[in-house]
Amino acid sequence: MKKLFAVALLLLAGTALLRAADAPKKVIAIVGGRLLTVSHGIIENGALVMVDGKIAAVGAASEVSVPNGAEIVDAHGFTVYPGLIDPETNFGLTEVQADVNSNDLAEPSDEIMPHMHVADAFHAETELIPVARLNGITNAVVAPATNDSIAGQDIFIQLAGADRDQMILGRDVALAMNFGAEQRRRGGRAGGHAEYPSTRMGLITQLRQAFLDAQDYMAQRDEADKKAQKADKPEKAEKSDKSDKADNPFKRDLKMEALIPYLKGERPVVIGVYEGYDIETIMALAQDFHLKVILNHVTHSQEILDKIAAYKVPVIIGPIYDFPLANERYDAVFTLPAELARRGVKVAISSADAGGPVSSHSSRNLPYAAGFAVAYGLPYDEAFKAITLNVAEMFGFGDKLGSLDVGKMANVVLANGDPLDVRTDVKQVYIQGVAVPMVSRQTKLRDEFSK
Amino acid sequence: MHPFQKARTAMRMAWLAAGTAVALCAATSAQQAQPQDIVFKNATVMTASHGTIEHGSVWVHAGKIAGVGDTVNAPASATVVDATGQWLTPGIIDPHSHSALDSDVNEATSPVTPSMHMIDAFDNRDKALYQALAGGVTTELLLHGSANMIGGQAVVIKNKFGLDRDAMLFPNAPGSIKFASGENPKRVYGSRDQLPSTRMGNFEVMRQAFEDAKAYMATWDAYNAKAAKGDKDATAPKRDLKLEALADVLRGKLYVQIHCYRADEFLTEEAIAHEYGYKIRAFHHALEMYKVADKIAPEQTAIATFTDWWGFKDEAWDAIPWNAVMSMRKGVRVALKSDSNDHIRRLNQEAGKMVHYGGATEDEAIRMVTLNPAWIIGVDDRTGSIDVGKDADLVLWNLDPLSTYARAQKVYIDGDLFFDATAPGLGATHFTGAMHDAGGFGSDDDGNGEDGQ
Repeated sequence: MKKLFAVALLLLAGTALLRAADAPKKVIAIVGGRLLTVSHGIIENGALVMVDGKIAAVGAASEVSVPNGAEIVDAHGFTVYPGLIDPETNFGLTEVQADVNSNDLAEPSDEIMPHMHVADAFHAETELIPVARLNGITNAVVAPATNDSIAGQDIFIQLAGADRDQMILGRDVALAMNFGAEQRRRGGRAGGHAEYPSTRMGLITQLRQAFLDAQDYMAQRDEADKKAQKADKPEKAEKSDKSDKADNPFKRDLKMEALIPYLKGERPVVIGVYEGYDIETIMALAQDFHLKVILNHVTHSQEILDKIAAYKVPVIIGPIYDFPLANERYDAVFTLPAELARRGVKVAISSADAGGPVSSHSSRNLPYAAGFAVAYGLPYDEAFKAITLNVAEMFGFGDKLGSLDVGKMANVVLANGDPLDVRTDVKQVYIQGVAVPMVSRQTKLRDEFSK
Repeated sequence: MHPFQKARTAMRMAWLAAGTAVALCAATSAQQAQPQDIVFKNATVMTASHGTIEHGSVWVHAGKIAGVGDTVNAPASATVVDATGQWLTPGIIDPHSHSALDSDVNEATSPVTPSMHMIDAFDNRDKALYQALAGGVTTELLLHGSANMIGGQAVVIKNKFGLDRDAMLFPNAPGSIKFASGENPKRVYGSRDQLPSTRMGNFEVMRQAFEDAKAYMATWDAYNAKAAKGDKDATAPKRDLKLEALADVLRGKLYVQIHCYRADEFLTEEAIAHEYGYKIRAFHHALEMYKVADKIAPEQTAIATFTDWWGFKDEAWDAIPWNAVMSMRKGVRVALKSDSNDHIRRLNQEAGKMVHYGGATEDEAIRMVTLNPAWIIGVDDRTGSIDVGKDADLVLWNLDPLSTYARAQKVYIDGDLFFDATAPGLGATHFTGAMHDAGGFGSDDDGNGEDGQ
């Protein structure tokens, strides 16, 4: 199974590269800009060369040799930086929030839904993506909404591409988990009956049972595989039809199957949790099952920041705009990224407005959320990493994205000032070395009514 | 109780107690009389009315602005605030807020409820007021929600967080009434199979309401005429609060603030306003104003709009972030507003976005969150800019307030310091005790019916 998965991944990666190769083979050199490399500081008057969708050279303009025939982009007075990566969005799962028919956000029929694959619902043609792209967002994690304790498996996308397969750089990259008040089955806003699990006790017990069941399932499946192999091996061809395998075929359980890579620690689980005491509860469970955790939100964790640091897990802060509790200082949440980073925690920042993560219409504001963290104490370099390299690393794309380094995918943005400032205008976005048309449904409306 | 939980609770209690103690100390010092004269020196003064003064001074006397310029003639006894390297702006004004109203935003039991008064729901200890104050907000128009075609009457507050309810009211502010059309009233009443479940129904409900009001006014006019002639048999008609409120609209006594999104609705609303003889002060949300701004500009109806919220419902599908600046260039007075307990804390950044989306000057941008919303509320002669004679509602920022990085350092209302970020604890200099937490997001229009509208 593991092998199969690896092969699938390879195939997928292969597909993406093939498609990229279909794009016109162009060499572009961005010369004279201020390069925010993220990985190795700022280069004033730098040059960056993109060849075949990858970064081929980065350095001082005086030192980088621009290949003959390259298209030269004069970037004097501009800032050049890696495409931004939003660690939590609902791109392609929603179009108009209030229009239920346009939403495939979560499957609330059960609380344990690891076998929901975002890849199966991702609507690549969503209008939300070009809108975000215009502000320099080139990659994102797409996660289901937060109704369920285990809501499904995320995808990692590129915000450009001819079709779904080209845009999904990785499917099932992480398991979307949630723990807290929201997942309790209390009949919901519309009323109705409360049902199990209607308390945190119920939620945790159910989760524990699910992971135990998956462990049992994994053992049974391994046993069945072993038997099947034995039965297959030395026997003659006609005899194998009467083997154990044929008589007692192992019935695959997709729900259980889906949890296995996470029980093996092969891929991360992203746990959405807001309250400090909820973090302690869910982390105890995660540690019991050796899950590879990324914490998400941690909005009201001010009292246990040292403990969070001691978990040695990365943290997504989002939205930074969530409200402090009554009688808390107004900046109790604004200062979280700084406080965590100060304690050595690897921090990412997501885009959402207060009110929860289902706000991908606002993904274009991702750089401003990072800037706001700077206003409240996060060092600028850390803030920039929190929306680029740190996100890439958390989701397994650290070697391909997130910084201006040779060999990485040429997702590069050109802006007329500090990317984290609300006043700055993005002038050009390159994805896999191709200049993306700076057009969205919104720019078309603007232009139509500006005539 | 689980021992860990107990420990946590104890920690929280201790923390709260510490916070309260700090707040009490702060309050004690704040109770000292405010200085009669304050001079801010060497600030970058963004006046909102007449440009920016580098290294400027502002003199506050008895709660009013007494001087502004390169230098001012303040008395030697004035308290000096050295604002070197800092920015001074008028207080931020939000012309569309539902903060501090608990969940009493919509009386969604009838599409016409003009005699509801938001002051009756105003909770002056709501934490949202404090959080807005820390974002530099000094004045808010607290509006009824958008469930009804004709909702209730607004309350205008000065954000003097920590004072009692009546001390937070903006004295003698004009009255405003909230109208709405489009998806929200459709959804609320349509879901109950009631009128209005369409836009046709929307506007007919309004017209009928005004016909009722005209008839009511005529009855009173007839009675008053008889009574004036000394007719002793004349009997006074029954007073009807709802119809009296509508009559006040027709008499021009209330500013009409209309929630609507679509271009066609602006045109319909203006036509109805002409038909019944009232003026529309502002369209709120107004996300499609860029399509018909040239038609609305001559009406002198302003807009209070989001910068970049979009797609939360069908009528927000054509929203573009250039709306504000494009409309402004066509002569419409434009304000930015929050409709959100979140965005109200960073309206200065929303203004900053206008530099990005459409190339507003910094002067134009700051006006969108100060003087222009003041005009919408009808208090622009008293606040919204740094001009002599106006209320000393001022914010001192550590950086250019239009940047992402700016933080409000000190917030003054009527010359009195209400927030000081550098003070220990909450920084709310007049506040003691416990805040209330109404929950929710302070919006009646977040697309998912959060407040049931």
